[in-house]
Amino acid sequence: MKNKRLRWAVPAATAVAVGTAFAIPALATASADELPETTPADLLAAVAQAEPTAMSGTAVYTARLGLPELPAEMTGGADPLNLLSGSSTIRVWTDGAERSRVSLLGTTSEYSAVVDGPEAWTYSSAKNAVVHVSLDDAATAQLDAAKADAQARADAVDPASIPTPEALAEQVLAFASMTSEVTLDDNVVVAGRDAYQLEITPLTDDTLVDRIVVAFDGETYVPLSYQAWSSMDTSAPALEVAFTDVSMDAPSDAALAFSTPDGATVEEKVVTGEDLAAATAPAEGTEGDVPVLPEDFDPSTLDPSALTPGAGFLPEGTSISGFGWATVVEQSGVDVAGLLSGDVDADAADLPASPWAGRPAEDLAEEFRGSAADGGFSLDATALYDQLTTPVEGGRLFTSALLSALVTDDGRVFVGSVPTDTLLAAAGLA
Amino acid sequence: MSSTLTERDHDGVPTTGGDAVVRTRGLTKKFRSGQVAVDGIDLEVPRGAVYGFLGPNGSGKTTTIRMLLGLVQPTSGEALVLGGAMPRSAVAVLPRVGALVEGPAFQPYLTGRRNLDRLDAVDMTADPRTSKARIGAALERVGLSAAAAKPYRNYSLGMKQRLGLAAALLRPRDLLILDEPTNGLDPQGTREVRHLIRELAEDGASVLVSSHLLAEIDQVCTHVGVMSRGKLLVQGERDVVTSGGRQSGERVVITTLRDHVDGARRVLARLAGVDPSSASEAASVEDADHLGDGAVTVTATLGGASLSDVAPALVAADVLVLGIGTDRPSLEDVFVELTGEGFDVAR
Amino acid sequence: MSHAEATAAPDAAEAPTSRTTAAGPEVREASEASEAPTRRRGAFGRLLRSELGLVLGRRRNQLLLALLASVPILLGIVLAIVSDSAYAGQGPGFIDRIGGNGLFLVVTSLFLCTPFLLPLVTSIAAGDAIAGEAGGGTLRYLLTVPVRRGTLLVAKALAAMTFMLVAVALVTAAALLAGGLLFGFDDLTLLSGQTIPLTDGVLRMLGVAGYVAMSLTGLVAVGLFFSTLAEVPVGVMAATVVVAIVSTVLDSLPQLSAIHPFLLTHHWFDFAEFLRFEVSWSLLGQGLALQAAWVAIFGSLAWARFTTADITS
Ligand SMILES: Nc1ncnc2c1ncn2[C@@H]1O[C@H](COP(=O)(O)OP(=O)(O)OP(=O)(O)O)[C@@H](O)[C@H]1O
Ligand SMILES: [Mg+2]
Repeated sequence: MKNKRLRWAVPAATAVAVGTAFAIPALATASADELPETTPADLLAAVAQAEPTAMSGTAVYTARLGLPELPAEMTGGADPLNLLSGSSTIRVWTDGAERSRVSLLGTTSEYSAVVDGPEAWTYSSAKNAVVHVSLDDAATAQLDAAKADAQARADAVDPASIPTPEALAEQVLAFASMTSEVTLDDNVVVAGRDAYQLEITPLTDDTLVDRIVVAFDGETYVPLSYQAWSSMDTSAPALEVAFTDVSMDAPSDAALAFSTPDGATVEEKVVTGEDLAAATAPAEGTEGDVPVLPEDFDPSTLDPSALTPGAGFLPEGTSISGFGWATVVEQSGVDVAGLLSGDVDADAADLPASPWAGRPAEDLAEEFRGSAADGGFSLDATALYDQLTTPVEGGRLFTSALLSALVTDDGRVFVGSVPTDTLLAAAGLA
Repeated sequence: MSSTLTERDHDGVPTTGGDAVVRTRGLTKKFRSGQVAVDGIDLEVPRGAVYGFLGPNGSGKTTTIRMLLGLVQPTSGEALVLGGAMPRSAVAVLPRVGALVEGPAFQPYLTGRRNLDRLDAVDMTADPRTSKARIGAALERVGLSAAAAKPYRNYSLGMKQRLGLAAALLRPRDLLILDEPTNGLDPQGTREVRHLIRELAEDGASVLVSSHLLAEIDQVCTHVGVMSRGKLLVQGERDVVTSGGRQSGERVVITTLRDHVDGARRVLARLAGVDPSSASEAASVEDADHLGDGAVTVTATLGGASLSDVAPALVAADVLVLGIGTDRPSLEDVFVELTGEGFDVAR
Repeated sequence: MSHAEATAAPDAAEAPTSRTTAAGPEVREASEASEAPTRRRGAFGRLLRSELGLVLGRRRNQLLLALLASVPILLGIVLAIVSDSAYAGQGPGFIDRIGGNGLFLVVTSLFLCTPFLLPLVTSIAAGDAIAGEAGGGTLRYLLTVPVRRGTLLVAKALAAMTFMLVAVALVTAAALLAGGLLFGFDDLTLLSGQTIPLTDGVLRMLGVAGYVAMSLTGLVAVGLFFSTLAEVPVGVMAATVVVAIVSTVLDSLPQLSAIHPFLLTHHWFDFAEFLRFEVSWSLLGQGLALQAAWVAIFGSLAWARFTTADITS
């Protein structure tokens, strides 16, 4: 009998040993004290000064925004829509300068975005479709000119008048301190690397953002993780991206190159000179030198309302209320219904028959399946819009852990990291 | 542990020397259902014995055998098989033990030969080179050579039973533990098994055989043990058990003619040392007309006299002797007497 | 039991004075020689071969394997007939690539077989292993031969694993054959859009098959443990398949993300790594480590149960 009990002790011991073996790597990330002491200003200066670093790695992205989950199995493969909610794995390769590749991994699919200088591609393995973004000659010329212009202006500046990174960091900090408290958190280990943690906490209670935490690699000052905490849920960050695996070696050329796979459909999107001009036209009132705060700058003397840009600064139909973290942007004259039935639908992801029948999200997928003319399934943007928003008197409300939006029936859109009541009040609906 | 058991004095348990192939002490099995299937039995199978292990259905025979073979862990008590404590010494001892437990069981889709081959392959100590010859010989011995290539699924009940016996005989054995080996066999098969057991015993093996065919057991066994409701009611040499331990001598049966009955009675009474006047009580007389006209049988207890004296004495007294024989009380009588007449299983 | 047995040998040292030679005089000498209670060299190999013969020789199992091998063939034929119309954009992401490159038939077949068919085959082998023998009564004869229970369990486990391996290998081979014949092979376009040479592509397909097979080892251990608990093989099969399915369902519930990394099936579809530009060996390593953990825990549970169980069947 004693022998019998001894025998059952073996699986028990095995379970303990296995548990320990699995727990050890988790415990190893608990503390990192190897890094030299620093201050928020020094850290910001070091980050600003850091050379662009070639690197590659795997990151886990998690969104707990309170939105319905659209896993890759439901969107028919890896798709940017997966980022709305839940966890996704992302792989990154970059040479630190011109070329990089980002892949969103699905169970058996991948959505890749490749940037090579002025050119960019996206590739969805599930749809076997390529979108190629390039500049036409006019746009290229424009970009080159802008670059040359910037270079010329930088050369023209008296080196003595350029603030040192340290001074710049001080100024940024001083500026930020009007709205936020910037502190250093305990050092952490991210993806096996020691990292500093910078924590930015809004001073106001009128925002959904509780705090932002960014971890910078202690050696290269590359950001290794980013967390946005919502005041609605203090148990876990509402948005989190963190590397689980990082290599600071330069990625191979093959990793950064893009060639269109055989049989893939290709959609060309050419950015013309006009597009570029419209997008980069400096808004009124911002033209001029790099803003440099005066030496005797004291944020406490500043009138916050003075920081709210005037009407002339903003595009037509846009206005801003609130300040800092509690800013609300208002855009009038938006035709939501038109948007939904037009452009958005064309981009909607295919929703094939899911092999994961019976999943809780299945109903949701069912709703998204529109009756597209070609007989296949397509993500119905209107259904998605209806799913994501809730009707209120006079409009529809979008609620998430970090961001709220209100679309009024008279075509105004309010967006801000604020509670929905604030938006309703701004729209005069409360 | 084993030494204390072997050296212990077994009071109340008849033994034949100290040399036992199976010896248990307080062997008990209580199943998780709460059922006490075997309740503290002290089994003793002397070397060279053919031990008839008897008992009504559900009395605990198979459970005991399972414990002897290391299949079931005793709740308490000890069991020594060929000197090894079970189930601890199972791997060391069992190669010398052939067993048939609760009927044969083989893979239905394999042939008889392949099934034996499989069992031999499982044996880490068996010689693969002689495997073929041993399997052939074992099949031969149980008369199954002709059906060796048939799938087991197509065997008749008796053929299955024979294959089970063949498996028990794959290697030379010192002890055979056979649980109902004649179940389902035809008369020839039953006879064969009987012969087989005798043969094995003559070659020096000990046999523990459980069966409900008391007549069969009666013909081969030298010892018997009777179980009921998990308890070992009695065990010992067959004759001692059947005579209820009285050891009052053999009973002789004489067949003669009705006219010679009185003469026979007198002779038998004299031989038994009984007062001739009470000779009519000492010997019972029964009509035996089936043996011939006017034939009767006279049955009497011999007492101290030897059977060989009977015939000359009768002849000397001018008693006509048509036949002479002995009569042992039947095992069945003893069995029913010990375990009761009831037909329903006890538990 | 099995551990104590070797040391207990002296108990049985009392040598018999006479023995019967059941097998008859012609083999007497050889038998006498074989009676040393020592374990013969190669005996375990013989046991294992015998067990494999039992598992692979069984008609029902052969049919099962044939059925499994027909999955890629049927899939290939269907795709060759309907070609690009009806199936485009359905099923796993690469099903509509098969037409262009037969190599994709391998991943697609394994993808389709992984959630249910392969676990089914695995659990059938596990159910037969111990529960099947117990139910048929043969277990008591195996153990009285005798054989150490631990030894028998290891042989049974290896046989069940082999059966599973053969199943995966057959699906892979059938898919390669059908894919090559029906669609031809081409350089492999990875999920990231990059293209690698055919030889690398074939190697990666073998990697997929190997990983799928390794992913099922945990399930073999679970099935084997269930097998030691029961005497009805069908019950064991059902329970084992249910474990795989329940694990998949739990893995899909975001509310349970805390336990996801420990679920048996969590890394099953990581074989897609072999179709990415950079195979993340650390991720595959996690998958294998997880399987090893399940094998260790359920293997030792099976051992503890089997070596202490009363064999009453
Ligand atoms: N696994 C078990 N669990 C609970 N009780 C059991 C088990 N096996 C046997 N028993 C009980 O133990 C008792 C003895 O059973 P056993 O099989 O030893 O009897 P037996 O003498 O061999 O009977 P038979 O002559 O019918 O073969 C029976 O009452 C039976 O119900
Ligand atoms: Mg019985």
